[in-house]
Amino acid sequence: MLKPILLVEDDKRDLELTLIALERSQLANEVVIVRDGELALDYLHREGDYAHRVEGNPAVILLDLKLPKVNGLEVLRVVRGTESLRSIPVVMLTSSQEESDVLSSYELGVNAYVVKPVEFKQFIATIADLGMFWAVLNEPPPGSVRPLRRAQP
Amino acid sequence: MDLPLPDRAQCAEEPITTPGAIQPHGRMLVLAADDGHFVAHSENWPDQAIDDTIAALRFDRSALACGYGPVAVGTVECGAEIFDVTAHRQGPLIFVEFEPASPTDGTGAPIYSVARRFLSSLQQAETVAALSALAAAEMRRLTGFGRCLVLRFDSEGHGEVLAEVLEHGYDSYAQHRFPASDVPRQLRELYRINHIGVIPDALYTPVRLRCVDPAWRPDMLDLSYAVLRSVSPLHLEYMRNMGTRASMSVSIVVRGMLWGLISCHDRAVRCLSFQTRAACEHLGRLLSMQIEAKEDNEEVALRLELRRLMLEIVSHLADSDATLQRLTDTPAPLLRMARAQGAAIVLDDACWTVGVTPAPQQICALAQWIAQSAGELYVTDRLAELWPAARDFQATAAGVLAISISQVHRHLILWFRPEIIRTIQWAGDPRQEVRSSDGRLHPRRSFATWKEQVTGRSMPWSPSEINAALELRQALIGIVLRRAQEMAEVATELGRVNKELEAFSYTVSHDLRAPMRHISGYVDLVLDTEGEQLSERSHRYLSHVKEAAAYAVQLVDALLDFSRLGRAALERTMVDTQTLVDDLVDELTRQEQSRVIEWRVARPLPRLWVDPLLLQVAVRNLLSNAVKYTRDRDPARISITGISTEEGDGLEVSDNGVGFQMKYVDKLFGVFQRLHQTEEFEGTGIGLANVRRIIERHGGRVWARGELQQGATFGFAIPRRPQES
Repeated sequence: MLKPILLVEDDKRDLELTLIALERSQLANEVVIVRDGELALDYLHREGDYAHRVEGNPAVILLDLKLPKVNGLEVLRVVRGTESLRSIPVVMLTSSQEESDVLSSYELGVNAYVVKPVEFKQFIATIADLGMFWAVLNEPPPGSVRPLRRAQP
Repeated sequence: MDLPLPDRAQCAEEPITTPGAIQPHGRMLVLAADDGHFVAHSENWPDQAIDDTIAALRFDRSALACGYGPVAVGTVECGAEIFDVTAHRQGPLIFVEFEPASPTDGTGAPIYSVARRFLSSLQQAETVAALSALAAAEMRRLTGFGRCLVLRFDSEGHGEVLAEVLEHGYDSYAQHRFPASDVPRQLRELYRINHIGVIPDALYTPVRLRCVDPAWRPDMLDLSYAVLRSVSPLHLEYMRNMGTRASMSVSIVVRGMLWGLISCHDRAVRCLSFQTRAACEHLGRLLSMQIEAKEDNEEVALRLELRRLMLEIVSHLADSDATLQRLTDTPAPLLRMARAQGAAIVLDDACWTVGVTPAPQQICALAQWIAQSAGELYVTDRLAELWPAARDFQATAAGVLAISISQVHRHLILWFRPEIIRTIQWAGDPRQEVRSSDGRLHPRRSFATWKEQVTGRSMPWSPSEINAALELRQALIGIVLRRAQEMAEVATELGRVNKELEAFSYTVSHDLRAPMRHISGYVDLVLDTEGEQLSERSHRYLSHVKEAAAYAVQLVDALLDFSRLGRAALERTMVDTQTLVDDLVDELTRQEQSRVIEWRVARPLPRLWVDPLLLQVAVRNLLSNAVKYTRDRDPARISITGISTEEGDGLEVSDNGVGFQMKYVDKLFGVFQRLHQTEEFEGTGIGLANVRRIIERHGGRVWARGELQQGATFGFAIPRRPQES
């Protein structure tokens, strides 16, 4: 079974468009949606609403920068600072190309920083590429998805 | 002076106030102040005359107080002679002096004529020199001495002749200087307290004093105030060398200091009555008071003038941005307040000058030396003697006055005075060998004019000028501190506004782009899913919606770039615009291969002190504008030239494109201002606003000239790099 993609997005329209994009990219992974940074951390730590979820880290986190309660950079900081979460690929998906955001994201160890394209076709292509790369092609660290991938020809 | 003056320490040891002898033209008795008993007498009394004379004295001993000169106490007869008697008290003793009587003149007495004639003319004299000339003339009239000089002592004790009145046949000493050693220190002190000294005949043989009271010895009798006091043999020799038989000195004492002397000489023996001497002494006091008043007035006037100049400087500075180099905006008062020919402001390694000064690197080296060796003030009129490197610019800066404005930084203001090569006429060579073969000290023998050339010196800085410089320093520190505080407040406010602006543009960049993306996204979804059922018109409408959304995003991005340009820190280096322009021309030529563009790039183009990235953005904007607005020209001509103005250096870009009407020139550089419809020429209309913002952030200026359909010229100039050492 494929590991899920964790999509952290608060804006319902962005969420819809992203989901359509993921759908059209025909990725087989399940997409877990959380609407703010706090819930994202709950999911990752298996706490709160997610205390009883199935064990295991997501294949990739698609993280919006601006989020209610706990913003994207803070979520990223926690992920990189937590031993069990450190190796999850994180893609920052945002509206902004503010230099300071890009710099802070890379300093915190983001795997990719993607400014959402205005053109929808481009957006779909970008999401598809990202999903393909991080959820499928990228060689995940040992203990995450390797045995499963081997099992799936 | 290059050679030291001879050591007259030996003179300074001579007991001039207790010589144990008097001059022979009078007689002396010394009595105890308390009980009046007889203590000592001069050895020139006839036998038995002393007791009679003492018995004949009629004066109240208790009326005499210490510290005052002799007062007349009447006359006594002694044998066939009549004597004028004067008395004064010195310590526990009363000295009674007897001089051959002169007829009384009643109201015609000399002292009254001084009051009548001299006093009224004194009030009309405008300068110290004029006062001195009057005093010399009056002195000669009163006493008949062949030569009357008024001398002023300078800070080193040398006497300068201010005024002179001569009888025919006397050598002139006008403009001469008498070396300090001519008047030994203890004689100077004596002149300060006893304002008159007379030697009627330099060839006299002293008359010794004899003590009848065993408690006293002649060398214990202090004759400081005695008019008959016998003087040093050196002094008599000095007079004889000078060709003087009789002399008199009247002290000029100003503010408790020996300011100068009225010095009178005669070739013949000359006795002065007590009354004449009193008039001379009175004249000396009048002159002293007038000089003091005149000097005080001059000092007050000078201080007022200096304060006015300082206020002018300070108020100008306070109105400006209060950086110290602004002082050079008001060169005239800056130079005048220190009566200097040049001045410099040194801020660490940078240097600004006005007037005649050494080269900037020399000034910086000097400032470094001064900062190391002095505190808030440094002043000299002979810099090269103290700092040999200054010999190179001795002619312009033999004298330096410097104030330090900061204890942390090397912030100095320096004033320079040129070298003044002065020829001093000494009354004889002050360095003349004065020790003869017998090893005894002699005063110099020659009073012939001896000229000395003094080099490496400037006019000395007066106390009031130094004081004004210190006051300026205080005022500047006040301004600088106040301005620093204001700047700190502005910086805080700016920081706050900047933060707000950052937050604002952050919000804009995130929140404004998202809805545009959504519009665009959903339009695409509609087209994707329902496209086939839509009319062609609906397709067209939806494509307009998409374009509008895309353009809105473009505008937002342009605005964000513009705001970023205003915030980015400037990192300046020297940039060669030749390379920059050549590279951009290559790039644009590659992009526009379908077009014929004649580029004319002047050589050489200037080097500018700018942030290379920002300048590239500005120049790229100007060049691509020129390319864009010559689109329908064949061939398009674009020329780039360097320009150099008072404001600085820069570039001008001219084209033969569509141009613009000059009445819209002010709109050109505004944000989102366009003079053409978007269909005609694409773009957001922010390019020139970016250019202006970049150039203005460098302290420069942009401009444009154009005519409709006749092409346009855009230019900018950026201030040159500040001068450094």
